[in-house]
Amino acid sequence: MRPHEQAQPPQDYFRYVNVDAGWVDRRIFWDEAIYERELEAIFARCWQFVAHDSQIPNAGDFVTTYLGEDGVIVSRHTDGKVYVYLNACPHRGNKICFADEGNARRFTCNYHGWAFSTAGELTGLPSEREAYDAGDIDKAAWGPRRARVETYKGMIFATFDPDAPGLEEYLGDYRWYLDAFLDNDEGGIEFLPGTIKSYANANWKFGVENFIGDAYHAWWTHDSGGRAMMGGPFPAYDPKDTYHASVNGHGWEFALEGFGDIAILGSQEVIDYYAALKPKIAARLGELRARLFGSLASAAMFPNMTFLPGIHTFRMWLPRGPRKLELRVWTVVPKNAPQSVKQAINIGCNMTFNPAGTLEMDDGENWEGNTRTNRGWVSRHEKLHYGCGKSRQIEHPELPGIVHEGQFNDANQRLFYQRWADLMNAKSWSDVPQRYAPRYAGRPTR
Amino acid sequence: MNAIARDVQAAAQPPSPELISEVQQFYYREARLKDRQDYRAWLALLTPDVHYWMPARVQRYRRDERAPSVLHSAYYNDHLEHLEKRIARLETGTCWTEDPATRTAHLVHNVEVEHTDDPDQYRVHSISVVYRNINEDEEHTLHCLREDLLRRVDGQLRIARRLLTAQQNIFMNKSLNVFP
Repeated sequence: MRPHEQAQPPQDYFRYVNVDAGWVDRRIFWDEAIYERELEAIFARCWQFVAHDSQIPNAGDFVTTYLGEDGVIVSRHTDGKVYVYLNACPHRGNKICFADEGNARRFTCNYHGWAFSTAGELTGLPSEREAYDAGDIDKAAWGPRRARVETYKGMIFATFDPDAPGLEEYLGDYRWYLDAFLDNDEGGIEFLPGTIKSYANANWKFGVENFIGDAYHAWWTHDSGGRAMMGGPFPAYDPKDTYHASVNGHGWEFALEGFGDIAILGSQEVIDYYAALKPKIAARLGELRARLFGSLASAAMFPNMTFLPGIHTFRMWLPRGPRKLELRVWTVVPKNAPQSVKQAINIGCNMTFNPAGTLEMDDGENWEGNTRTNRGWVSRHEKLHYGCGKSRQIEHPELPGIVHEGQFNDANQRLFYQRWADLMNAKSWSDVPQRYAPRYAGRPTR
Repeated sequence: MNAIARDVQAAAQPPSPELISEVQQFYYREARLKDRQDYRAWLALLTPDVHYWMPARVQRYRRDERAPSVLHSAYYNDHLEHLEKRIARLETGTCWTEDPATRTAHLVHNVEVEHTDDPDQYRVHSISVVYRNINEDEEHTLHCLREDLLRRVDGQLRIARRLLTAQQNIFMNKSLNVFP
């Protein structure tokens, strides 16, 4: 049996998720056994973001992160390639890197001093000749386990599953949307230095679903933050020209008014910068994506990467048990923007979306509240309603993906949980149903 | 090492007991205003050019340690206009998570006053401890190393810069609705 194949999944997970009826069972946010299956069927299988090129530009640069609860080192080796491997010594299992980021020539385990190259090879054992006899250890076979690594426009992704489809197939037509964020100008994006890391006592899925398609909450949860940042309430919700798009469980919900998210940054300089850039975006990506970028929107890539395309916050939701998550937050800026624009974006992004942010402080309470009530046995066995906008699926001539009309819609959340159940049920990637035929298979999206 | 250290030079003379006492009383008053949530009065303790800065903490090996820049991700990287927006949020009447109100106790410890080359400016090191109790029973305590530039304006002390270094690598809570 391959490492990621099971004879049978433990149960049919569609008993917890009913996409057609529009409900989700609350136990998926609380139950330990379901969480353990998520680590195996989702986090040991799916492509996950681990770093952006701009965070590790030089040989020896590294960051440490997690695929599920498996700690990994992401490092650029002397050959220029990025390697991702378990942050665990194959001798007794201790971590081999204790820093969040930095530059190193090698990583050395604190316990016995076993040393590893930045490509994840076992290169040295202290007192090797005295301690080990010929045939005791084949060093080439005893490096920490490596993940597969692929990149998309500077974003580095990894998976431990040898059977996972390639990154391009995994992203599918979601690339068309990602380009509006990653590739809307020459030079692309860069991550500003510094990672804000925080814990919340919430299930990781609540963070992701909040970003994959929950425009609905903004008008209520974020009324106070919106008024503070923009000087007035959010404009009245107009369902015209607003959409949910979902591909392989990834989602993007958006308006097309062009500046809603950018305005929340609260900086006229940033608005002016993008007003000047918009015609160039239109020439590069087409009129529709030029309007899409910067509009009131939120987005998530399955399973746990999310971002706000116009507010420039980028975040990972790392699972820490069914009732806890670690949130990592970065500010993303256009690489070619002037420094003053980068700083204004950074200030606006930090002011709104981190644990001190005028918008996120209100979100954090909601995510924890969603999770904590499930402590009650009766509460936990209730269902949650996800039926908004079930009948509003459309075919759109330009927008790829499974598209629903109306930014207030549960469509992307329903399709996220459909993908979740598909993976939880699957013995291997070959069992995962194809629920959408890509328009751009094998073709670039820009 | 940081902006304040670069800008000011500690003068040789030690601070007088009167100055130390004045600074301590200023900090206690500041803490009281925040605990009573009298934030408009708190803003009046800041200079118009204040920089209130709490950069992200990043755990690096000693040989890799580096000072943050203003382009660094930060909990706070605020000038007065930004702090006023944060206070405006609390004043909207629709800030649901502050109703019922957060309960806090701001403590200031290890106050160390240094003269600078400018007779109207003092560099002050301190440790800020904020105890917070929210919702039914949630407790959170945050310790920050604090480095302030205090400026005497019309005879009164004002905060011109504050650099906060949180002593948590991963911030241990979902929100930071306090000003350490």
